[in-house]
Amino acid sequence: MTKLLAVIKREWTQRVRARMFIITTVMLPLAMILFAIAPALVLRIDSGNPMRIVVVDGTGKLLPRLKTSLNGDDAASDPEANVATRANSIASGRSSDFIFEQLQTAGRSEDDIKAELESRLRAKEIDAYLILPPDLMQSSKAQFFRRNTSDLISTRKIRDALDGALRTQRLVEARVDPRTIDQLDRSVDFETTRISGAGRERDAGGAFALVFLVGFVMYISILLYGQIVLGAVIEEKETRIAEVLFSSVRPFTLMTGKLLGVSLVALTQLAIWAIAFAGFALYGVSVLNSRGIPTRLPSIPFLFYVYFVVFFLVGYFVYATMYALLGSIVTTAQEGGQAAMPIIMLLVISFYLFLPVSRNPDSAVSFWLSMIPFFAPTSMLVRIVTQTPPFWQIVLSLLISLSTVAALTWLTAKIYRVGMLMYGKRASISEVVRWVRT
Amino acid sequence: MTTNPNNITVNVDCVSKRFGDFTAVKDLTLAVRAGRIFGLLGPNGAGKSTSIRMIVNITAPDSGSIELFGQKINSRIQDRIGYLPEERGLYKSMKVGEQLRFFAQLKNVTGKDALQRIDTWLDRLKLSEWKQKKTRDLSKGMQQKIQFISAVLHDPDLVILDEPFSGLDPLNVELLKDVVLNLKRAGKTVIFSTHAMDIAERICDDICLINRSQKVLDGSIREVKKSFGRNSIAVRVEGTSNGNLAASRLVSNIEHHSDEMEVLLAANADPQEFLRELIASGAVVTKFEMIEPSLHDIFIEKVSETQ
Repeated sequence: MTKLLAVIKREWTQRVRARMFIITTVMLPLAMILFAIAPALVLRIDSGNPMRIVVVDGTGKLLPRLKTSLNGDDAASDPEANVATRANSIASGRSSDFIFEQLQTAGRSEDDIKAELESRLRAKEIDAYLILPPDLMQSSKAQFFRRNTSDLISTRKIRDALDGALRTQRLVEARVDPRTIDQLDRSVDFETTRISGAGRERDAGGAFALVFLVGFVMYISILLYGQIVLGAVIEEKETRIAEVLFSSVRPFTLMTGKLLGVSLVALTQLAIWAIAFAGFALYGVSVLNSRGIPTRLPSIPFLFYVYFVVFFLVGYFVYATMYALLGSIVTTAQEGGQAAMPIIMLLVISFYLFLPVSRNPDSAVSFWLSMIPFFAPTSMLVRIVTQTPPFWQIVLSLLISLSTVAALTWLTAKIYRVGMLMYGKRASISEVVRWVRT
Repeated sequence: MTTNPNNITVNVDCVSKRFGDFTAVKDLTLAVRAGRIFGLLGPNGAGKSTSIRMIVNITAPDSGSIELFGQKINSRIQDRIGYLPEERGLYKSMKVGEQLRFFAQLKNVTGKDALQRIDTWLDRLKLSEWKQKKTRDLSKGMQQKIQFISAVLHDPDLVILDEPFSGLDPLNVELLKDVVLNLKRAGKTVIFSTHAMDIAERICDDICLINRSQKVLDGSIREVKKSFGRNSIAVRVEGTSNGNLAASRLVSNIEHHSDEMEVLLAANADPQEFLRELIASGAVVTKFEMIEPSLHDIFIEKVSETQ
């Protein structure tokens, strides 16, 4: 036990103290935040100056609505402006992205007006013009001309705003009560209720999203730490320490210690990220709530969290031991990296199994998938949150996976021990088989 | 070799090991007596390291048996052995002190006890100032000494050293030699392999010479040398001609060096008689010394014989 602890402790302290660990711990969340925020930031930068639009409003009614909807300048006083628009304008820090100018037509012909606007467009006095014919309310046909047609986002914004303005105006003309219009504009609040043997549970969607998140985190951490496990197993081979170690510890103890040590490093890092993420989420919710935007975290039964952790660990170890096994066969980390392809394939497949399993969680295929150790963690979790299978199935799946981990560790220790004495030579399959037999 | 079985620390009985078609060790039998320094000698590739690896249970023999302290190897016995493998290896990015503490823990030596021993040993091998340095900053010789410490840190009863002196400068060889002799004085059994015969000659009590996977000879150094007595004498004389000497029926061969000669006596000839003959011939004898074969000579002779 002293020896096992010594190995675990060494693996853990050496790695946690390493500069790489600290860098990745800080940088990964920052990178993710950057990836989440950057696109929005970039688009804001692109919008640059507000767009100057001349509107020929033949209907004489739509322009104010269009303005309100796009710029939200009267948002505070206007009950029709929705929360999103307000939040948007707060975020942009600018009262208007568009500057409207109304052109009085005063009996001029359409061609005449167009010619004038076109010349202004060419002279870059304006960026676009919009013609709303007098019969727009009936024909629903408007014309939009602009210099830069590749700016799809603002074109779409204007179209959507016009759509909304037209609809509201039609309703007003049909003498519909403004409060009714407001209600009509509300989008649907889609609440899914899950009915299982245990009764009604709300918000399976949140749980499902979390399973997806767990699967994703598993995927990322196996990719990240699988390589580290591989490296850890090869380390003593490359540095030729194995011989000293084997005169002191049993190979199985050494392998177990290494796996646990590296895994504790992974868990340390994940725990740091999880705490940071949870704190961020709670803070975010409270900020949104204080700004009057009702938000709440999905409510998920406590038992689910237990399953998440258990299956995450099991899944992690199944793959980690596969990496260790690979490490016991190859001689250098480089070689191991190339040979890791099949493991990554399995991992990718197990990730994509989300879809078929979630569609048919009770099918025979789903059952068998959740019993195969490589696929069990994700498919069983999906089954649990969608349509919780009988408890014995969950236990059986766990037992199969755990036995796989133990068997793989044993095999790894065996191969490692014989293989390490044959320096500098990659083992052939038949050699490996022979090693295991001896 | 007369041995009391209770006094045997390592008993290797008819052990063989093959790697594929290649026989690394064949029918090796040897007994290492407690409290003595045992040298496993042989040219490169003779099977020394393989034999040692089997003794410390890193590889298993194909046939034959090995007993340590009268038992088959087990984890309790493992803690009584200190092993310095031929392949040197340390964790490069660990500090020297940490590294030694880790190795101590692997031998069930922990806490204050471990720290104390580490300090004592670092001091003894003149490495104290390097305790907080990372291993990769140390020279090869220093790393070798660190690894030696890791082999003896847990105060093992049996110390097995595979080529412990290779790659060390003469000062460090002396230092390590003294440490090994001290181990013996403390009642430990030491097995080491080497092809440096001069060191073996100076510190070994018993030797076993192996060549081409097989034992060539073994026994205490004294016995080995005695059995190798070639009955040759270093002689420096004045006033007699070589012709006279060569004519003697006692002499089988004469080899001339600068101012003296090496006389190989005929089989069963008595050196005393030869001396009397010399004096009777009127020679003034300024040097008359029985030449003991050096381990080096024995090595060369035996190894080339079996080549």
